[in-house]
Amino acid sequence: MLKVENITKYYGDFKAVDNLSFEVKPGEIFALLGVNGAGKTTTFRMIMGLLECNKGSITLDGKPIDYSVTDDIGFLTEERSLLTKLTVKDQALYYGTLKGMNKKEILKRLDELLERFEVSEYKNRKIKELSKGNQQKIQFIMAIINKPRLLILDEPFSGLDPFNVELFKKEILELSKSGSMIIFSSHRMEHVELFCKKIVILLKGQAVIEGYIKDIKRDYRKMNIFIKGDVDQDELLRIGGVLDVIEKSDEYEVKIESEQVIEYVFDYIKTKKNITKFMVEEASLNEIFVSKVGEAYEK
Amino acid sequence: MKNKLKYLIGISLSRKIKTKWFVGAQVAFLILLIGIINIDIIISAVGGDFSGKTNIYIVDDTNLVQSSLSQVIDMNINLLSDKEENKYNYIVDKNLQTAKEKINEDGGIIIYIKDSKDNIIEADIISKKALSTYDFSILSTSINSVKMSLAVNELGLTDDELNKISSEVKITSLTLDEDSTYSTEDGTDMLMNSIFPIIILPLFMLSLYLVQMIGAEVNDEKSTKAMEVIISNVSPKVHFFAKVVAGNIFVIGQSLLLAIYVALGLLIRNIFGSGSTSLSSLMSSITEIISKSSLQDKLIYLIPLMIVLIILTFLAYSLVAGILSSMTTNTEDFQQVQVPIVMVSVIGYYLALTAGMFEGSIIVKILSYVPFISASLSPSLLVLGQIGVIDVLMSIIILLVTNYILIKYGLKIYKVGILNYSSSELWKKMLKALKE
Repeated sequence: MLKVENITKYYGDFKAVDNLSFEVKPGEIFALLGVNGAGKTTTFRMIMGLLECNKGSITLDGKPIDYSVTDDIGFLTEERSLLTKLTVKDQALYYGTLKGMNKKEILKRLDELLERFEVSEYKNRKIKELSKGNQQKIQFIMAIINKPRLLILDEPFSGLDPFNVELFKKEILELSKSGSMIIFSSHRMEHVELFCKKIVILLKGQAVIEGYIKDIKRDYRKMNIFIKGDVDQDELLRIGGVLDVIEKSDEYEVKIESEQVIEYVFDYIKTKKNITKFMVEEASLNEIFVSKVGEAYEK
Repeated sequence: MKNKLKYLIGISLSRKIKTKWFVGAQVAFLILLIGIINIDIIISAVGGDFSGKTNIYIVDDTNLVQSSLSQVIDMNINLLSDKEENKYNYIVDKNLQTAKEKINEDGGIIIYIKDSKDNIIEADIISKKALSTYDFSILSTSINSVKMSLAVNELGLTDDELNKISSEVKITSLTLDEDSTYSTEDGTDMLMNSIFPIIILPLFMLSLYLVQMIGAEVNDEKSTKAMEVIISNVSPKVHFFAKVVAGNIFVIGQSLLLAIYVALGLLIRNIFGSGSTSLSSLMSSITEIISKSSLQDKLIYLIPLMIVLIILTFLAYSLVAGILSSMTTNTEDFQQVQVPIVMVSVIGYYLALTAGMFEGSIIVKILSYVPFISASLSPSLLVLGQIGVIDVLMSIIILLVTNYILIKYGLKIYKVGILNYSSSELWKKMLKALKE
């Protein structure tokens, strides 16, 4: 288990991470979210041992993370961290050897991953000759070449089309099933919701929301009702507990403050004609993120 | 971790060697060095006359000197310099007019000897173009020697009297300072001319190359952000030593390759050379000069000491290059930061080049102890007799201490700098890293 306890990091007088704690158990996929400069990359760097914490501790299975355990960790950085003059094969041999693997193991695993990511033909091509998306695939392959026990992914989906996001998602889920602990960061909340159960939202180095997504959504209470039919926007707004009504192309999105308000809105709808849709949804993670981060920003 | 260090050294070396550029550079070095060493043979082979022998037409109206003049000229050339090759062909000609026609074609020189009532003989030296001071001096001295010989014969001196007049004065050279190593100006020049291209010039070039190579490699890994992945798997200390060791292995290997190319060039010269300055004659000249000087007995430990000094200097350059490259974020920034190192190297190069001009200078002697400069300056000063073995040992000790300090404090800077991606307040960051 990865245990991050009360870590704090200063850059000079600037507090980049402030008393952050979380845990990731084997098989769990954990998301570290936040706007730019929130402290995500600094946290990853501290986990990887690239930066020392000013306070707090980070342990993997009860032991501090040092070079004796880094062979079991995979790390994908936000920016391309590939030696672009090398071929894909040479790059895999380079990073794989640094992970303590032997040549035979590396090449076998590389062939397997290249095939899974449908880029086998690039094995002997220089990385600089590949497209941005394919470079991202190679970078991901390099991060998981050692079948890591702990996988850290900093913005893994940047530059990927939906098809490739699916490929990454499939691989991440497979690693999770095999017991790997996975931490990743992303600006795209829909990606987080796809396969993540536990999150921390960081703002200015502090955790503003943390826990399981289902609990966060439940505690958030606010919900959305989607209505299609002949309704009046002003009338809806006059119902107690309705926070906002947004008119979309052919429907209305009604934001309500709690589950109880659904009944009041439904009673109103019953008085109207031509209603073809009445759908209640939990608030999206994106909405929660914007709302919580926005509130904290204002503070 | 030891295996990772070995692997990093290996990959660093293979990234330098397994390139088309490396192979191309080696081919260029090989051709260039063989070409330079055999330039005269190449010129001769394509139709030039690099021997440049001048025809001397001796037109002797007196019939007294034509047989002896050529021998006297050769003797005077040898007296002036034992390195100098005979550059004249002698042709006896009876007719001044035909001789003039010939020098119009081949640019030769006519020595026209005439009778003289007062001075036994007179001579005209005729050439198409103005004579060099050297040619005129050799020829006029030789004509005067022949004239003196004729005068001595006329006076009817005995052989003993003649030998006493013409024999050389026996001169013995004694040196009070036993540490002083040079015996003759010619010898020193010869050794300096050999040492400079063999040791100092390659040392200067390779030290600059070493600095650039380490800087470029570290910055390549930094600018691609590959450094984050590398440093998350190996410690900055291992990474630092891998770069330094790989860089040094590369330049030492390159030095050996250059030595092999020079040996090949000399071998080719020995096989195809004219024999005038073939390998054997060159080597025998150097051996002779060394044996004349007091260096010979000391070479057995001077050569290893010099090799140690050079290797430690390479190490010092690579340590500084590693430290500075960790603080920069791209190759362009590193090029700016490395200027002071280049300047120090250039100073060492020029001091070594001009060492002979500062005989007895205490400052130059002190500079020969200074790390980064000592490897360039010490060989020159040693050959010139201005420093001894003790001074070389001092330089080695100072370099060892310098390298220790560079490793101890440089590693602190490297650890901080290697993941630093901002080039602002470079020196402030370095100082801060040192304090940590």
